[in-house]
Amino acid sequence: MAHVVLASALSRWLPASAGKSAQDVALDVSGTNLGEVLEGVFERFPNLRGYVLDEHGAVRHHVALFVDGTSIIDKRSPTQTLNDHSEVYVMQALSGG
Amino acid sequence: MSATLLVSTRKGLFVLERQAETWRIAQRVFLGDNIALSMIDPRDGSWYAVLDLGHFGNKLQRSTDRGSTWNQCAVPAYADGDEVVTGDGKPPHPAALRLIWSLEAGAADQPGRLWAGTVPGGLFRSDDSGSSWQKVRALWDMPARHQWAGGGYDQPGIHSICIDPRDSRRICVAISTGGVWRSDDDGANWRQTAQGMRAAYMPEDRQLDPNIQDVHRMVQCPSQPDVFWAQHHNGVFRCTTGGGDWKEIVDVQPSVFGFAVAVHPRDGDTAWFVPASKDQCRIPVDGNVVVARTRDGGRSFSVLRAGLPQHDAYDLVLRHALAIDTSGECLAFGSTTGGFWTTNDQGEHWHMLGARLPPVYAVAFASNSNR
Repeated sequence: MAHVVLASALSRWLPASAGKSAQDVALDVSGTNLGEVLEGVFERFPNLRGYVLDEHGAVRHHVALFVDGTSIIDKRSPTQTLNDHSEVYVMQALSGG
Repeated sequence: MSATLLVSTRKGLFVLERQAETWRIAQRVFLGDNIALSMIDPRDGSWYAVLDLGHFGNKLQRSTDRGSTWNQCAVPAYADGDEVVTGDGKPPHPAALRLIWSLEAGAADQPGRLWAGTVPGGLFRSDDSGSSWQKVRALWDMPARHQWAGGGYDQPGIHSICIDPRDSRRICVAISTGGVWRSDDDGANWRQTAQGMRAAYMPEDRQLDPNIQDVHRMVQCPSQPDVFWAQHHNGVFRCTTGGGDWKEIVDVQPSVFGFAVAVHPRDGDTAWFVPASKDQCRIPVDGNVVVARTRDGGRSFSVLRAGLPQHDAYDLVLRHALAIDTSGECLAFGSTTGGFWTTNDQGEHWHMLGARLPPVYAVAFASNSNR
């Protein structure tokens, strides 16, 4: 079971039932690797897939994924193994003006 | 005359409503978000907005209640194996949606039909109001596509889609850079129709190659659909036979360079341009914002400046940022420095919007039937 936090820049695009749009949204999702956990998130929020991944399944260039405080390395294939209490943080990369 | 304008900007979608001679901002939607384009479907009055979210990709939103509520549609997607191959020496790379650069409603006899032109060069079709999209395979699979190149963006893109009002199976698209492609059978087969265009900046033996022409914007006269106008990187071109014999119009004052063009809905001889100095200097000539109008098919031009800034103005008007309404009397344009002007008399007099907008990317009038 991973603890997933969606930064407020993402959660504002979720349905109102997900919580206050100006705040981070946290949820627990089962899975043993990052790919499974992301699929679990997208099952709950289908619209979110296109915000985090491009049409080929790669993490978008300007989206950052942290697992237990460390940024993932392979954005083209986000499948790294998680432990039972991993925290996955999904946020916008800092860019632009 | 139209009573509603959608203005797509770097920081939100602004809904303008007519107030006597001028306009006022009636609604602000997606404030803070980058709106690349908006479109009002003349068949059912629904509004579409393309959000180009820097972090999260392109999104398409649809409103059926004049902007009060919005629902997210699907966006065009490239398949695994689709590759962007260009003729400008850039290495091939996997295709992914960079931008919905043009969006048009199908004909009245095609409910739900939308066309989307994209960067990196794919044309997509929807038959369910944007719930799903199919790539137009025949255009994407043409070997000639591999000679297209980046122009407005690093990758090729389709910025203009014209659907013939007489026969909705006839479609013309313009590409930066890739010329003008035409289908007479709803997208099943395509042929290049940019013959006559000229690119003086290219090596001499490539200057007349239709497939490398950098069209900035192309429009079709609704009541004379064989008449097209194009603002091209090299200048202004006009075609009166449906394609294939473009004529260069060299005497546009104060400059032949620019991005935007509008054609009168019932008079193919009348068109408007918003010139900039030149390729290397994309600001108004001498700091004066002007609109160039021809009423005789390009033989002569009037330079319209009443109500427009006439000193120290550095406004550039992008390709989708000039619009004309269905009456042919009202035009509106916005600039990259947030200036916005409207006219009710074909450009004789202009009125400045009393607001400093974010950079303007696109302007669209609602048709009369949709207010």
